[in-house]
Amino acid sequence: MKSFLKEIIGNLGTDYADIRVEETERTRIVYRGRELDDIGRSFERGGCLRVFHQGNWGVATFNTIDERLKELARDVAAQVTRLPTRATGLIPLPALEATVRIAPEDDPRTVSLAEKHDLIQHYNEILLKTNGIVSTLSQYLDAYRSVSFYSSEGRYIDQEFVYTGFSCRAFARDGTNIQDYSDSFGKCRGFASLQNREQQVERIAQVAIDLLRAEPVQAGRWTVVIDPLLAGVFAHEAFGHLSEADHIASNERLRELMKPGTRVGVEELTIVDDATLPQERGSFRYDDEGTAGARTELVRDGVLVGHLHDRMTAYQMNEPLTGNARAVSYRFPPIVRMSNTYIEPRSVRLEEMLGSLERGLYVVGSRGGMTELESFTFSSQFAFLVERGRKVKMVRDVTLSGNVFETLRNIDMIGNDLVLFGGVGGCGKAGQGPLPVGLGSPHIRIRNVVVGGR
Amino acid sequence: MAEINRTDLAWEILELAGDYGEQAEVFSSESDQTVVEFRANELHTQQVRWTQGFGLRLIKDGRVGFSSTTNPDAIEGLLAAAAETAAYGKAANFSLPGQQPVRVLKMFENRVVLVSAQRLREWGEDLIDAIRSRVPDIKLDLTLRRCLRQVDIINSVGLDASWERTELELSLNGLLVQDGLVWLSDYENLSSGEPLAIGPLAERVCQLARLVRGKAALKTGSYPVLVMPTALPNFLLPLLVAVNGKHLEKGTSPLVGKEENRLLDERLTIADNPLREWSLESAPFDGEGSPCRRNLLFEKGKFKGFLLDLATASACNRATTGSAQRDYASPPTPGTTNIEVSPGNDRLEKVLGEMKEGLIIYDCIGGGQSNLLAGEVTLNISCGLKVVDGVPVGRVKDAMIGGNVYEMFSNIAALGNSQRDLGNYFLPFVLFPGLLVSTKE
Repeated sequence: MKSFLKEIIGNLGTDYADIRVEETERTRIVYRGRELDDIGRSFERGGCLRVFHQGNWGVATFNTIDERLKELARDVAAQVTRLPTRATGLIPLPALEATVRIAPEDDPRTVSLAEKHDLIQHYNEILLKTNGIVSTLSQYLDAYRSVSFYSSEGRYIDQEFVYTGFSCRAFARDGTNIQDYSDSFGKCRGFASLQNREQQVERIAQVAIDLLRAEPVQAGRWTVVIDPLLAGVFAHEAFGHLSEADHIASNERLRELMKPGTRVGVEELTIVDDATLPQERGSFRYDDEGTAGARTELVRDGVLVGHLHDRMTAYQMNEPLTGNARAVSYRFPPIVRMSNTYIEPRSVRLEEMLGSLERGLYVVGSRGGMTELESFTFSSQFAFLVERGRKVKMVRDVTLSGNVFETLRNIDMIGNDLVLFGGVGGCGKAGQGPLPVGLGSPHIRIRNVVVGGR
Repeated sequence: MAEINRTDLAWEILELAGDYGEQAEVFSSESDQTVVEFRANELHTQQVRWTQGFGLRLIKDGRVGFSSTTNPDAIEGLLAAAAETAAYGKAANFSLPGQQPVRVLKMFENRVVLVSAQRLREWGEDLIDAIRSRVPDIKLDLTLRRCLRQVDIINSVGLDASWERTELELSLNGLLVQDGLVWLSDYENLSSGEPLAIGPLAERVCQLARLVRGKAALKTGSYPVLVMPTALPNFLLPLLVAVNGKHLEKGTSPLVGKEENRLLDERLTIADNPLREWSLESAPFDGEGSPCRRNLLFEKGKFKGFLLDLATASACNRATTGSAQRDYASPPTPGTTNIEVSPGNDRLEKVLGEMKEGLIIYDCIGGGQSNLLAGEVTLNISCGLKVVDGVPVGRVKDAMIGGNVYEMFSNIAALGNSQRDLGNYFLPFVLFPGLLVSTKE
């Protein structure tokens, strides 16, 4: 493959070029209620080539891998060389030859379709046997991905990736009151990691039933304790996206706002993006520009210390490479993305945190989050009203929103119980999603959060 | 780039599939896109995206299997995988459709095919210049996309259907750093081939940029809220989830058994219209070859019916509404196409002028994160203005709107007299008389 890729982008006469060719095999099995709704397998093959010249990028994506790519590469190069020069560049990388293989026992292609089907059918049955559950949505997903990368700098990387995961959603209904609850598990691990998760599935059904009796939360400002999943969504949505340097590099005012050395939170607050964690959902050895994945501190002891970069933003900001150029598939060029983003644990126990609430919310789980730089919103699955340190009742439709910097300053307790999550979804940005990412946190307490509701 | 003949290969797959099952359908598609992206006022990338793929739906021993590929060398694997999955697949309670007459739609425009990357770049540069001449501190991200899309569906009972569609659109996001960060967004659907009218678009963006400069305080409470077309999809989403035939089949839609019941304000008529010309989801037939039609979802507030494909229709003892959505990599499933809310009689200036104290919302984030089936929405207002005595007085920050859309839409105060084209949404503004707005004040 190396010599073929080298031939395609070998003599373009441009400052830089790279090509990425990818093959992916996926399986999905979906149950809705008692019936299997969808089962399918896919075999994708395609690639993306990029040409960089005098500050401009030209990109082409394609499905056909043959000699005609040479002509495509020449066309892209010809277009890019006609563009006016821009004052930017790329951080150079040395030549390299690297191979990254998955463990054979993790390869989902070695597991029969029958075993995959039986596992998700089993979990779906657990939901359905619970009284009050009227329907379900249970999904099994796996992917094997092989990516070959070659750059004009002589960098050749051949990488394999694996992913398996499942999600279960239970729908409970009482007249017109329909409530649902879901949970998922998914990491860069093999099929065996999905087995023996019956307790997790049983809880899904029970929470959906309990939600039928929950009331909508009262809107207003609350002191909240949020669980590791939702706190991880906050770390990702609120601060992680803001740390992606493609927004910052070309905007002087944003650079000022996100200047290293700025205090953004309490001394206990450290936020990290780490692609090197073994087998987490957002882990990788090399990103889609061929840069090694890394552990990057974004906030250390409450002070902003780092940004996430691709090779161009690192050049523009004169900062070290972090290996965060990622593409959701061969259909797209890489852009600056997170890997596994989390808040580091400290010393406070959950009981102490809840005990500190005179009247507040203990907010659990996530229905997702969105951000527009400093503004964020994220929705929980449910919450408990806590009075004088005791959980009084369950409430629903709890969505938290606010300004990132103000909210970071209002984090005043950080727990000792870090959990990292993967799941079956991912992150969306600039039309590229879902990109596999990991996120996590210990429990944290935040004062004065705006909660939407009734 | 020239490629292997996609339609020839699709026919070859269909013929080979005859050895694997009783019935087969091959969906093949191809898209040729040019995308020019500007980031922070400067050209960022110029992209050519070329995609083709094949999806095989196989009915074997009365069960449905599915597989897909983009790899013309993997056809044996495609056939074997479809047969393998059929062993576990859903019972085929429907028959694949044969050839049927469909409407001829205006959805292909040669002028769009001919739009070059250079033209897209020039439009982007001219628009950025026009806006920055009046708002020098704005940072604009633009995406200009031209696409030629071709779809063919053939099956073993005689269907041989195809369409070509051209798409041309511009999306704009502007960032202002003004007492915090402010995002402005706008959109133009140019698929009919008319050139970009830079002046009116630049005027809209500059006007909004001027209005969001000041910050206005708003206390938590109930206010009249004018939702502009750009923000309205966030409020419509729970209704569009509830009309999906999958939720009828599984009994999880709150609309089950409510057909012909008046659920919304009688001024509201909402339709799903794949036959709308020059739209991003226009098509003469759906993802399994059934003729498309305009489906009324709500007419004068009354719920009219669900969107169905062949399988859900059969499971519910109804007829398909021609609403199967898919691409080559996924089997058909019911879904929406172009959503139209019929315009009302109200002029924006008049409605705004009569507002004593309220809000205009141009954009929100957080749509889709709440319990959609229950109709709940909780949205963060990312671009909204406070209005006092009919005059916008400043931007509202860190505020949320929450509630149940069935309650919200059951009582509206005004409905705009024109539709805004958002590519696959065609919407007027809606004024709600009183929505709960949560703020820090």
